[in-house]
Amino acid sequence: MKGGMSINVLVANRGEIACRVLRACKEAGIGTVAVCAPNDEGSLFTELADRVVVLQGDTIATTYLDQAQIIEAARSTGATAVHPGFGFLSERADFARAVSEAGLIWIGPSPEAIEKMGDKMTARQTMRAAGVPVIPGEEVEETDETDALQALREAANRVGYPLLLKASSGGGGKGMRAVHDPAEFEQAALGARREAVAAFGDGRIYIERLLSGSKHVEIQVLADSHGRTIHLGERECSVQRRHQKVFEEAPGPTMTPALREAMGSAAVAAAQAVDYVGAGTVEFLLAPTGEFFFLEMNTRIQVEHPVTELVTGVDIVREQLRIAKGEPMACGDLMIRGHAIEVRLYAEDAANGFLPSIGPLLVFRPPEGPGIRLDTGVREGDEVTPNYDPMLAKLIVWAPSRGEALQKMRRALDEFVVLGTTTNIRFLRELCDVAEVVSGNTTTTTIDDVWPQGWAPQVDEALVSASLLAASAAEALGLNRRTTQGASGKAGDGPNPFQTISRRFP
Amino acid sequence: MQHRYVGPKEPVEVNLTKQGDAWTHDGHRLELHGERLKITMADGTVHLAHAAKTGDVWWVHLNGHTFRWERMEPGATSSGHDGGLAAPMPGKVLEVLVDVGQSVTAGDALMVLEAMKMEHRIVATSGGVVTAVHFQANDQVAQGAALLSIEESN
Repeated sequence: MKGGMSINVLVANRGEIACRVLRACKEAGIGTVAVCAPNDEGSLFTELADRVVVLQGDTIATTYLDQAQIIEAARSTGATAVHPGFGFLSERADFARAVSEAGLIWIGPSPEAIEKMGDKMTARQTMRAAGVPVIPGEEVEETDETDALQALREAANRVGYPLLLKASSGGGGKGMRAVHDPAEFEQAALGARREAVAAFGDGRIYIERLLSGSKHVEIQVLADSHGRTIHLGERECSVQRRHQKVFEEAPGPTMTPALREAMGSAAVAAAQAVDYVGAGTVEFLLAPTGEFFFLEMNTRIQVEHPVTELVTGVDIVREQLRIAKGEPMACGDLMIRGHAIEVRLYAEDAANGFLPSIGPLLVFRPPEGPGIRLDTGVREGDEVTPNYDPMLAKLIVWAPSRGEALQKMRRALDEFVVLGTTTNIRFLRELCDVAEVVSGNTTTTTIDDVWPQGWAPQVDEALVSASLLAASAAEALGLNRRTTQGASGKAGDGPNPFQTISRRFP
Repeated sequence: MQHRYVGPKEPVEVNLTKQGDAWTHDGHRLELHGERLKITMADGTVHLAHAAKTGDVWWVHLNGHTFRWERMEPGATSSGHDGGLAAPMPGKVLEVLVDVGQSVTAGDALMVLEAMKMEHRIVATSGGVVTAVHFQANDQVAQGAALLSIEESN
């Protein structure tokens, strides 16, 4: 072992990101422990770990969010470090602190950095002090409802309409309201406060000017404990449905070297302002004017990190492990090569308001070929359940140019076969043909603008009748009597649940 | 051979023709190609399709599109009773759609069963008169249980 210490990593997560981290550990020669809820026993990620601890509990709160049980699992298996992945406990400062106090290495930034970025008002003030541009607006610290409302109204008049009300402890759209007219203000402010108190126990609200037609551009940063903080360029993630990213790419299609340099420097300044260590992402809104504004910092690995990996050649998770061991980062100067696109495959019915769907993965056959990467936590024979996030996989492609990457993505999506559960594959495929996506002029409202009445697939009639031929001939040929042999599906006697269960959710 | 599927409004009917080792419908032609289904479209283009069945539903992947076709089974397996319609699998009766004495024609939906968390329609295999309904809504039924009796009209 060259430098640093020897570590054993417990991955406090599940599914696709657990697989990603466990594999990176395997590549680095690091021992691994997986923790899983009872209903995840036998999942792909548990098979990639050296040891598995089954957490006792039947809810997320009593399993993947149970800090004491996870730390005990680390102790009992000899793990010396904890990687939180994304979601679950990844941005919980109290967990980072508890891990450190238990004598374990937290693979992420300090609890103080998480806290400073987690409270949005504190983050805005910290960024302003560090010279990072924030969206014009004001923070209101009053907690008494009457005083707060008065202060907010005065602040709103100074910021101007249209504006956004956001909860300081907010996230996921909770405690957030767009206000277009002063007459709507009071009701919106009271609603945002109510939601924020209910969801986060903190009713503090701040005001931002509403910047419509903006792009969502984020900068990946890495910082080690040897004083080096760098950025790995941008990712553009404007294409979103219900505030959820579905199509991400690097580099940004409208990015210029000068703007990348400016945004990269701002992101590095943001990280340094909180003494950041590890991998993190600084999110910006890029206005049509070319101005950019700090949105928030995600103090963890992100879902869309692979596009940065493909264009920079940096293995971000491997760097996280190096940094956690106290080693310097291995990556050199930033070099961006070619273009990468990621789409998120969800078990959802895109034609029906993107409602989650569940069912068996009777066939799960990902595309293959040069320039294609698949990050997933499932395989053929698995069951998609309503217990967890409906993301099945991330399909990522790389090609020398953006146009070629888009062509490769179309080909890959056409080849991707998932049968037994409704997915958004066709929606993603049609997205690749949308004029704004082809030109790169996407904004955060592109999906709503293109499909104001919701999306419905465009299918050729000849293909419909040929599919009926396939179904009928398959029935006549008795192909349904062929046993589907899955991970937990057993061939032989008795009805196979994977062949008989098909539910729609909800 | 006729196959029926649940359609958006009316059932979708497919009349399958077998020619040697190939099946045809609507000008398209299908041959088994190893484990996969080789389809020669009416316009001459060739695609390899994937198909898999869960419950009554056939899932088909063809040329980048995924289709979900729910079969309307003609009454499921014979129970040994004359004109009896048997439950295809254990489950619960959700709805009885016909009354004793009612005339039905082949393909009419008679009952809705919930089995393995999925709804199944029991449809008449032939025309006739319903002579008995053996279960009511919310009753549990065993696999093969006779659900209704129909006296076939000639």
